[in-house]
Amino acid sequence: MLVSKKALAVLGSAALMASMTVGSGIAFAQDGPLRGNIRVVIGSTSTGGDTYQNSSIVADALSEKLNLNMKVDAVGASSAFRTLDRDSRGNTLMIFHDQSYLGHLYGVEGYDDIFEKYTIGPTVAINPGNAYLVPKDSPYQTLDDIIAAVGAGETVRVAIQPGGVSEIGFSALKNAISIEHPGQEDNLVAVNTGSQSDKNQQLFDDQADVINGTVQANEQYTRLPEDDQKAMRFVWLTARQDTIEQAPEEGLGQTTRQQLLAYVEPNVNVTMGGDESFTFDKEFFFLYNKDMDPAIVEQIDEALAEIYAEGEIQETQKNAFFIPNFKPSDEASEYLQDKMTRYEGIIENIK
Amino acid sequence: MEFLSLLDLTFFLLAALGALVGIVFGAIPGMTATMAVAVCLPLTYALGLNHGLALLLGLYVGGISGGMVPAILINIPGTPSSITTTFDGYPMAQKGEGEKALRVSVIASVVGGLISAAVLFFFAPMLADFSIKFSYVEKFLIILLALSVIASLSSNMLVGIFSGVIGIWLSLVGVYSTSDGGNGKTRLMFDFMEPYLFEGFSLLPVLIGIFGISTILLEAEKGVKNELSGERVKLGKGGSGFSMSIFKGRLTNLVRSSFIGTFVGMLPGVGGSAASVLAYTQEKNLSKDSSEMGKGAPQGLIASESANNALTGGALIPLLSLGIPGDSTTAVLIGAFTLQGIQVGPLFIPENVDTWYVMMTALIFANIVMFFLMFYAIKHIAKVVMVPKHLLFPIIVMMCVVGAYAINYGIMFDVWTLLIFGVLGYVIQKVGLEVAPLIIGFILGSQAEVYFVKSLESAGTFSIFFTKSPIAVVLWILIIASVVFSILMGLKRRKVSREEASQ
Repeated sequence: MLVSKKALAVLGSAALMASMTVGSGIAFAQDGPLRGNIRVVIGSTSTGGDTYQNSSIVADALSEKLNLNMKVDAVGASSAFRTLDRDSRGNTLMIFHDQSYLGHLYGVEGYDDIFEKYTIGPTVAINPGNAYLVPKDSPYQTLDDIIAAVGAGETVRVAIQPGGVSEIGFSALKNAISIEHPGQEDNLVAVNTGSQSDKNQQLFDDQADVINGTVQANEQYTRLPEDDQKAMRFVWLTARQDTIEQAPEEGLGQTTRQQLLAYVEPNVNVTMGGDESFTFDKEFFFLYNKDMDPAIVEQIDEALAEIYAEGEIQETQKNAFFIPNFKPSDEASEYLQDKMTRYEGIIENIK
Repeated sequence: MEFLSLLDLTFFLLAALGALVGIVFGAIPGMTATMAVAVCLPLTYALGLNHGLALLLGLYVGGISGGMVPAILINIPGTPSSITTTFDGYPMAQKGEGEKALRVSVIASVVGGLISAAVLFFFAPMLADFSIKFSYVEKFLIILLALSVIASLSSNMLVGIFSGVIGIWLSLVGVYSTSDGGNGKTRLMFDFMEPYLFEGFSLLPVLIGIFGISTILLEAEKGVKNELSGERVKLGKGGSGFSMSIFKGRLTNLVRSSFIGTFVGMLPGVGGSAASVLAYTQEKNLSKDSSEMGKGAPQGLIASESANNALTGGALIPLLSLGIPGDSTTAVLIGAFTLQGIQVGPLFIPENVDTWYVMMTALIFANIVMFFLMFYAIKHIAKVVMVPKHLLFPIIVMMCVVGAYAINYGIMFDVWTLLIFGVLGYVIQKVGLEVAPLIIGFILGSQAEVYFVKSLESAGTFSIFFTKSPIAVVLWILIIASVVFSILMGLKRRKVSREEASQ
């Protein structure tokens, strides 16, 4: 078989990419205030995670629209913030999610108030997959069972990564227990872990009764036979019902949207007091250096508005199990601040 | 055999190109396999999944084996897992046996790579079930076992252990990250150091500094003499001194180290460098005659290189059968799947049989390409040592600086780390401390801490380390055997030297 021209081009570009780490790429000419090579740092060190995946989709679309080089770097939260602090020219942008302000609310070292320290950029998507799981042979069939058991004095251990998205559902659950069964909330115990594999391992080792996970990472585990040590079952997705309803009908893997809807409100109810029920959508958005030229903020807003108007990016996002959710900077900033206030209450209540 | 239709010439070219670029990355101090894979990750968009995987797996295999070149020739581990390669490789190169050392290493590498690929192919799901039996306690004990090499590696045991403790202490500088289940607070530093040392010292600049820069400083102290003529003779007509007979009687070592590498690769969260260190320890403890190890013995190279290449297959086991990466490179590799919208998890192999076969093909092919590229290029590569030192050293220093700056994508403090540890490495050797134990302590220290704390956190009692499981008991026996053995060896050595002195 002959090597096609395309293959040669790809081979060439592979070599070029490799050499790019040593030297820097060449900037192409652009019209807007944003120019040169743009580095998009993200708050996660994983290239296998949702932040990287979603940021790549957005950065790809943006670099094509604006005709510039954009590269996503998985440097992790503290490095990303510090890198962003150093660059006010606009050559470094950051994409992260609710962790950026939840970390601050939980008082995690290295997290400042993002609304004060940075300019909030547009939101781009939601990952509706934040989930809580139990072993397949767990005595708890539903989240209500868990709330009732804790209320009756049973100790239930939940594996989470403290200080953020992974903890907020746990905090809400604890808050709900303190409302429904006052004084019993301390029976819900957090097990401190790190990565998803650590959380899974806690479940396999019987060191936790419930773990925080995601639809994306844990769906296959829910399809294992019950006698498998690794088999799990969803009990709760924190996303809003509206959010899951926008997911593709076929859902993810072999779990359909219909099946997933069984694990969200109003089928699963975590009270926040009164009629209000807790939900949490993990949202991705841009963060900018405070001193960056406002014209760049506008330029990105406009470019993204055009991209979303074209409609192609929504398809890509949905295929990757993200829910498109574009809000321009001003709107996003206000919206996220409201969101933060909502969760601040929960965290205060259970302190 | 439907997957055969997915393979075309481009597929094999990409795997070969990957191996070549990977070797270059691995060979440049400071550039690693992980970096090569990360840089090329976005290409999987353009290439499609199968071609993308061919390229990435090529990079992975090439990157891991390329690390042996600077380790042997200039005493700088190109990747952290080739650290034990420097122990015997560099002394051999100094004796003018660089080419021989490289050939031994290449063969060990390809054997390690292929054995681990075979293990991956036949036993992946089964082994994944076994690997989840290793909880925090067992992982801590594995690391402790690897740390026990410090005792047998040092020429004076007390000094060696002291150096190792300093290494562990240095590894704990920085934040105890919340993603490791820590409290997110920094320790072992003053407040003003926080902007620089928040995440502690980066591993690679430390490695390159303590090995590379300090070696250059020691050489610089000697001054530039014309040593070339002598070396030219050694490299010249007499051949490399390499023949397959070196492997005679070393088969057990080769196979054992390959399995150790595969096994350590398989455990998520236990870094790759533990694999070669562990294989090296076991060879030191179990072989009939290990007295030459550390002074330029091929058996050390065999252990180290077969284990570190066996990592590749091993680390893919949990990735493909649990969705959990086994080492830092496979953690990046997982991105190739997510970018293509493919779920990795316990059902990955049954649901993506074609992709699975494609990956196996790429992995084996990349190993073979790596072998031929390196085996026949060695003659030319080995000539590096013939470059006059007043030209070679500045180039190495420049490459080290570039590599250190690039490793975390442009952190200037990493370059300072390189220089600090370069000078430290020089001073350490001057005051009589030992470098190898120190660096092993540094590499394994922070992992040991995390698993130690987590074990206590989840069990609440120290006795858990002894009572957790039969695996834990076996590991304790190995640790005790390793320590007792080192003590006996130490006593024997002392007796021999005393007898020699009295004669």
